[in-house]
Amino acid sequence: MAHLSQRLEKGAAKAAPAAAVYSARRPRSATAKKMFPYLLVGPAVLYLLAITLYPGLFAMYQSLFVVKFVNWSWAGLGNYTRIIQDREFWAALGNTAIIGGLSLSLQTIIAMTVAFFCYRDPFVRGWRIVFLMPMLFMPSAVAFIWKLAFNDGRVISDLLMSVGLASNNVDWLSSVWLARLTLIVADVWQWTPFLFIIFVGALQGQDEEIEEAARLDGASWSSIFWNISLPMMRPIIVVAVTLRGIDITTMFTNVYIMTQGTPGGATETMSYFIYRQGFRMFNFGYASAASVLMLLITIVIAQTIVRRAFKSGKS
Amino acid sequence: MASVRKSGGDNLLVRYIILVSWALVCVVPILWFLTIGFRPRTEIIVPEPIYWPTWSLDAWRLLASDWPIALYLRNSILAVAGSVVIDLVLAIPAAFALARYEFKGREDIGFYILSTRMMAPAIVAVPIFFLFKNIGLLDSVWALMLIYAAINLSLVTWIIRSYMLDIPKELEDAARTDGAGDLTILWEIMIPACLPGIITAAVIAAIFAINEFLFTLLIASTSKAYTMSVALANFTGGSDGVIYNAIALVSFIAFAPILILVILIQKHLSRGLTMGAVKG
Repeated sequence: MAHLSQRLEKGAAKAAPAAAVYSARRPRSATAKKMFPYLLVGPAVLYLLAITLYPGLFAMYQSLFVVKFVNWSWAGLGNYTRIIQDREFWAALGNTAIIGGLSLSLQTIIAMTVAFFCYRDPFVRGWRIVFLMPMLFMPSAVAFIWKLAFNDGRVISDLLMSVGLASNNVDWLSSVWLARLTLIVADVWQWTPFLFIIFVGALQGQDEEIEEAARLDGASWSSIFWNISLPMMRPIIVVAVTLRGIDITTMFTNVYIMTQGTPGGATETMSYFIYRQGFRMFNFGYASAASVLMLLITIVIAQTIVRRAFKSGKS
Repeated sequence: MASVRKSGGDNLLVRYIILVSWALVCVVPILWFLTIGFRPRTEIIVPEPIYWPTWSLDAWRLLASDWPIALYLRNSILAVAGSVVIDLVLAIPAAFALARYEFKGREDIGFYILSTRMMAPAIVAVPIFFLFKNIGLLDSVWALMLIYAAINLSLVTWIIRSYMLDIPKELEDAARTDGAGDLTILWEIMIPACLPGIITAAVIAAIFAINEFLFTLLIASTSKAYTMSVALANFTGGSDGVIYNAIALVSFIAFAPILILVILIQKHLSRGLTMGAVKG
């Protein structure tokens, strides 16, 4: 990135010939022609650098200090050695993986099933609107819907009792897996529509003739799905699930409103861990160290999985 | 087996059981939450849930009297609209360069822009908080505007880039032989031709900005710059517990415009949500 910003500065220094770009018909120097795309893309890149590079560097710097309000005292790598031994940090990483992984699998399976059963239905347009609804609520509102349904209003317990699945009121925040389940339900409810809309669009966009031909050969719908539709959709599935997976790993709002990490940190995600260390306990240096570690993980994931997904997704 | 069927799923009964049950899962919580908005406070947090409400307008009175909904609505609209404008001004030229020019580092720059979308808000939350604290922009709608713009810039750039890639080159070539310069081509050919993509990008960016929670929570540390999304969380605490009927009401006030926007771009939704990677 460094060489790029240097080049951008050079471009700014050459603003005089570049000004010629703005006149339509005058013949331009070769340099101005070469610089033109950088001038187009420059402002966006600089804006993003300001909002990613600066915070990244700031976090790295701050992570080397113990910050007590306005007093910064040098700690070297102390924050890092502490964090690597911090059970809560590893628990937060694990929780993010467990809750995120289960949520993502459920969403993918449900979205694919529902899309498969409705893409050739005569009422598909109506179904699409209905199945899209949960996604249109603000995430903070959705968190309250489920907080009320599970905990405060006891609606879910009541429904379970009425069908005989529970014998008394369930305290959803008292058990590790029940508390995680509430987060998973909220996320699946709100975000399955995201995957569904993409999958159903892909299925509807298929070439009908291939299906017709397979059907005339006596193939069943499910075998057409497994052998024709699914392989065709692969790149699309990879892109959609990757994007959803990225968002799940940043889960914060539901944790903040529904569980606050209880019981005993079993629902504390990475984002919530950083928030709590920084803005609840004011260990800003420590929170920054956690941010840096999370950033490293993000970069590795972005460079491997995401880059490949978006290359193959050019369907 | 041999009979001709019209749709996915061999068995109509199985199909409709699945579709109807998922539709119920989607719609029932929404309808139930809507009734919460019309109940008295005493009927919400109870040992035994009451399914049929005694209708009341408590929540409306509460919103009208001691909750500055107009201020939060104004903050939301200002920050979101401003951020979308910033995004379009920065993203349209960038998308044009990425879609139409050969230059060194194009792939890497494009991917760098995309990769900012992968960053968890929490990673930059602490530094961003200090940044805005130092330049004195805490509690300001302008700060939210700048942050929302940054969150969505990658998305807007990539969506518009994808639509620009679809525009036939011949259009430009014809204009070039007529002596049109690059900026004329951007302004008079590219932008009008990929208007659906620009609108799609703007709508999706607006929805993500309306929803943003973590940064708003930190930057708007007193309620002066609260947006609807974070103001909801403000109905908690205190001696009253969570004031669900007001929360429900506000959720639906925000839900309506989003629904209208999404129906507007329905055809382009899956392409927009995947940043142009899927031609829906």
